[in-house]
Order: sequence, then structure tokens, then C-alpha cells
Amino acid sequence: MAENIKGKFLDFIARNFMVEIDEIPLDESLIDEGIIDSFGLIEIASFIESEFGILVKEEQMTRSNFGSVHLIVDFVKGQES
Amino acid sequence: MCGIAGIYNAAKISEDSPSTTEGMLSALVHRGPDGWGTYRTDQVSLGHVRLSIVDIEGGHQPMVTERYAISYNGEIFNYIELREELEQKGIRFQTNCDTEVVLKSFEVYGAEALSRFNGQFSLLLWDRIERRLLVARDRLGIRPLYVLQLGKTYYFASEVKAFDAIKGYQRSLDMHNLFEHALLWNTLNDATVFEDIRSLPAGCYEIYGEDTFPKTFRYYEIGESTPPASPPSFKQAVGEFKELLQDSITLRLRSDVPVATYLSGGIDSSVITHLTSRIKADQFKTFSVAFSDKDFDESTYQQEMVAHLNTDHTEVKVNYEMINRTLSDAVYHLERPIFRTAPVPLFLLSEEVNRQGIKVVLTGEGADEILFGYDSFKELKLLDFWRKQPESKLRPLLIKRLYPHLQHYKDSRQFGMMRMYYEGFLTNITNEMASLNIRVHNNKAIANFFNKDFKLSFDHQGLLGKIKQAIPDNFSSWSLLQRNQFLEIKSLLSGYLLSSQGDRMSMAHSVEGRYPFLDHRLIEKVFHYPDSYKMKILKQKYLLTKAFEENIPSVIVNRPKRPYMSPDLKSFFVNGKLTESAEYFLSDPVIDNYGIFDKKYVGRLINKFKRKLPENIGYRDNMLITFLLSTQMCCHWAENPKKEKLNYSLKTTDIIDC
Repeated sequence: MAENIKGKFLDFIARNFMVEIDEIPLDESLIDEGIIDSFGLIEIASFIESEFGILVKEEQMTRSNFGSVHLIVDFVKGQES
Repeated sequence: MCGIAGIYNAAKISEDSPSTTEGMLSALVHRGPDGWGTYRTDQVSLGHVRLSIVDIEGGHQPMVTERYAISYNGEIFNYIELREELEQKGIRFQTNCDTEVVLKSFEVYGAEALSRFNGQFSLLLWDRIERRLLVARDRLGIRPLYVLQLGKTYYFASEVKAFDAIKGYQRSLDMHNLFEHALLWNTLNDATVFEDIRSLPAGCYEIYGEDTFPKTFRYYEIGESTPPASPPSFKQAVGEFKELLQDSITLRLRSDVPVATYLSGGIDSSVITHLTSRIKADQFKTFSVAFSDKDFDESTYQQEMVAHLNTDHTEVKVNYEMINRTLSDAVYHLERPIFRTAPVPLFLLSEEVNRQGIKVVLTGEGADEILFGYDSFKELKLLDFWRKQPESKLRPLLIKRLYPHLQHYKDSRQFGMMRMYYEGFLTNITNEMASLNIRVHNNKAIANFFNKDFKLSFDHQGLLGKIKQAIPDNFSSWSLLQRNQFLEIKSLLSGYLLSSQGDRMSMAHSVEGRYPFLDHRLIEKVFHYPDSYKMKILKQKYLLTKAFEENIPSVIVNRPKRPYMSPDLKSFFVNGKLTESAEYFLSDPVIDNYGIFDKKYVGRLINKFKRKLPENIGYRDNMLITFLLSTQMCCHWAENPKKEKLNYSLKTTDIIDC
């Protein structure tokens, strides 16, 4: 299931932020890497809400949950279970 | 306002220099449709196209005295006072124009004359005795001047497109400079996006003589004046500021033709129009851009001011289709890639101004830079406050007060995301790049879009190093906001707003913009006021607000600050399809032909919006489409220069000085 979440998420990042899937860093911050800007974060939150039905609470919007692709996947997985 | 061109070779200019000069002038004729002239001697050729504003009958150029020949573009607003000073020294004048004052000032003061000028100008001054060419530009770089070196010959022109007239020369983009431009919205120092073409730095002059290399001298730098031992009280500062701004406007209303003002709906242009009305007894014309898309339209505020002052107002209403249709013509004039379509409506506005016979307009540029008006100043102040207590829960809450026109900043549900975004800047925001750190960060993704053959990658340390070279010695003694002010003026204002959005968009239709907030006396005075006078807590342009809150309708004074913007992406997509023009410029064969971009990435951007045009479109996607299109159009115009012709019946001057 995690792989499915990861696949969907990477596909979204590639499509929306116009990068190659194999160029998306998995363990670094998408903000720090310049792949997304502030509006990009909002787009990610909207995607998680619409795709996985998860409403991200303000206190969950932290680097420990959103600091990398792997952390985001873990966060989504944790919320779904 | 006018256009200038010139050629210099220390040994001898080539025999076709007169025809090359005429060719260069023909590309500048929109800057000066009222007449043209040339001057030549063995080492130099000067050309001039004239927009007659002061001393309509006299004042033809190039103008020659015993010592000098000059081709000069612009205005010296204090020419009356300078003339009086010179007359007291026994200097006699033959015309009433400011060009002669410039010439005689150089005769008396030498290059030191530049420090006496209060104006906006670029000039080519040939010393007939010393056989040297002095080229100079105003303090802020309001008027342009470009330099191209080919072998041992130097070419000078008000606009880059004039160089297209040089036989055997073809403009091409410099990819490293283009990437720097993409990161900062301007190239640093004297670079341009074109190979081999430099921009003469603002506040500098250069001497071209027998030496192998020209020498560059700086006669002005932002913040060069000595700060007062103790600052004035806020009340005193308000008084000084009002007086200086009024005087700046009085000087800038000097003209032998009618002067109008632009009204944007914000406080800056409203104050200028208000102060203009205090000087002008008769009703005068005002002009505004309005938008069919309500998200961009500010006409309610514009109309408030029109009703308040009873001006003779004209509104040009702009829609998506007009922006799409006009972008290419605008790019022809602005000569570099742009990141927002905002210059395009100003191009359409100056067309209307010209149609109504107006040659001079006052506008509000500069207020945001000198009075901390941009949200980038708020952003910086907030981050500096937060970084001192990074664990604070309360300090980052101020993020909600940034960018009031952007919904996601206000939205409490999104606050956590915004806090996370800004956290990354806490450690570097006080370095020499100040808020440029954020701009560069947001723009660096553009690297992916360039053709991979160029191997462009973001080099933060390299850029920081270049910025360190460009800052003055006293930079570190300034506050963070003052440092940011310097950087904003040097990057966005001088190289982009005054150039692409200012000079080039108004001069495309022979309209001269004048900028009262950019009087150097005002800049220096305000620069040294305490930061809190300019931004009180997070209230921008506090000094300006307090100085004029009694004179401007309160709905304008109290409205949230919003930048002037126009529709970007929405102008180029209709019913899920790119417009015909955008489709052409972003098509695979045209991308391949110019070789600048990676068509796979361009295709992804197009596909993203072919599926659906969302209600909210982020900064980056708007920027990308405008950047891609305008870069392609730049390439088009560099390869296909327009062939304009000079009207020989308007030739006023033809001097051969051999």
C-alpha cells in the first residue's frame, strides 16, 4: 500500500511540478530542493485531501511530516491506518 | 525624451559608419518621431532621434559647441537653476533648451557636472579637443544606454535593437546571463541577457579614449550620503518629505507640452496626482489601466481619485485577448524575457496616451522601494523577528499578514504549510542577498526548462559572490531593510521595472515617463530615516500614508497593498487550448529552432493546463508561461529585426566635423 501511495504521490509531483520522477529526491525537502514553492505546498495538501481523503491539521503541517517524499508517504500511510 | 546612438573607434571609424548610425536611429524612431540628426568626425559618429518636449523650435541634436558635441536623451529637471548659476559665471546661451545647459555644464565643471544634474538621462559627449568620448547615465538608470564592442569599435544605443543595424552582427542570448535573469528578474552589474552587450551601470560614466579599455567612474551610489548625527522626529520627517516630494513634482512638471499622470488606484500615484493638482491650475489628463478580470481590476479606487480631483480621465480596459495579442509587440520593445505580463497593459496605455497627444506622464514608480512598500520588506522583517526566537509559536503567526491579495496566506487551514515554507529561510535571510534569497529560491526550478545541452544549474554561492562584489563598502553598516532596499533598487527597479515596464513600454509610443519618487534628494533623505518611519510594525509606506492621509480618499489610504499585476496564464489558454500565437512559439519546431528550452518540460507545462485551468494558479506557473513565451519572442525579434525607415524630411542636423 505504501508503494501505491508513493507511486501516486510521485506521479502527482512529476505532473504538477514538471520534474522527472527519477529526479525527485526521496529523502530531501521538496521546498529546499526548489521543486515546490509556497503555493506548491498548498497544492500538495489539496492533493492529499482529494486523493486520500485526509484533511491535514495545522499541527501536522511540520517538516517531520512533510520534510521529504518518504516522510509524506509515511504520514499518509499513518493517517489511513 | 529621445533616442541616441553612436559609434567610436580610437583609430578611425569605418566608412560605412554614417549609414550604420542612420540604421541604428531607424530602430529607435519610436523614441523620437519629431526629428533626427547626426554628427561625425573621424573617430566618432553620433545620432539622435528627438521627441520635442522642451524648446520645441530650438534644441535640435546632436548639438555642438567649440569644445563638445553631444547626443543626449532625457531631461535635466533643474536646468533652469543650473543655467542661472552658469550665467552668473558669465556663460552665454543661444537656446532655451536643457541640452545646451548640459553642454555648458560640462564645459565649466567637467564630469563633475553629472553630480549637479537632477534628472533622467543618458548621453554621449564627444570632446573635440581631447578626442575622448564620455558616455553617462542617470543615477537610477531611468534612461537606458547599451554598449556593444565589436573588435576595436564600440557601439552605443538607447535600445539593444539598434545594434541589429550593424552589418554582419546578429544578437544572440547569453545562456548564463539568461539564467541569472531568470533567477533575479534582472542580470547583475552591467550584464544583459545578450552576448557582448553591456548596459552602462546607473550612476556611472565611462571614458573612451586612446587607452585600450574604457575607464568606468561612479558618480553616485544609493545611500552614499552621510547619515545625520541624529534623525529628525517623525513629525519633522513628514514635513521634509512632503516638501521634497512637492518640489520633485514641481521640477518634473517643467515642460513645453502638457503633462498627464497615471492613476493605478494605489496611494503612490494618487499622491502624485494630488500634488500635481496643487500646482496645475487647469484640469489635466489622467490615465489608468483597468481589467475585465475583476481579480486584477482596481478601477474602483482609480475612479475615487478621479472624482476627488476632477481630472480629465481615460481608462484603457484590458482583457485576456488583448494581452495575448499584444505580448509579441511589447516584447519587441522591452527586449528581454519577462516574468509577468504586467508591462503589456502599460504598452496599451501609452498607445492611448500618445493618441491623445500627450508626451509626458508622471508615474509612481520608486515609492515601494524607497518607503519599504513591497511585501518582500514585510517578509524580511518578519523572518528577522522570527529567527531571533525560532521556537516561538507566536512570531510565525505574522505570516498571515503577508501578501493580502493571496488567499493561501490568509487561510488559517494553510498556515502550517506556510510556516514550513518560511522556516527554510530563517538561517540565510540576513546574508547579503536579503529577500533575494526567496526570489531566487522560487525561481530556481526554471533551470529544468532550459535545454540540457547548456548544463545550467543553480549556484547559490556563486550568485552570492557576485552580489557581494556589487554592494558598496558601507552596505554592512545598514539595517537589513536598508540593505534590501538597495538590492531591490539595483535589481528589480533599475533593470526591470524602470526598463521593461517603464521606459520601453512608454517610449514604444513616444511617451516619456517621469518618476517623482526617484528624485535623488528624496531617495537619500528617506534612506537614512529610521526604518520604523517607513514601516511601522508591518504597515508599509507609513511615512507616505501619514503625510497624505488628509488629502487622499480614505478607501485608498486604508486599502491593503497589492502589487500591480495582469493576467498571465489565463491570457494564453482558451477553452483548454493554447492561443494560436502561444501555440506557435511553444511548438516543438520553434523550440528546436531557438534551442533555448527543453521541449519535454515545455510540453509538461502545457499539458498541466490543457486538462484544466484551475481557479487559483500559483506564482510559478504564471511566471513560467510568461517567461517561456517572452524568451521565444525575444529570439524571434533578434532573428527578425524590424526594418523601419527614417523620414529624411525630418532631418534637422547633419554635422561633418573633419
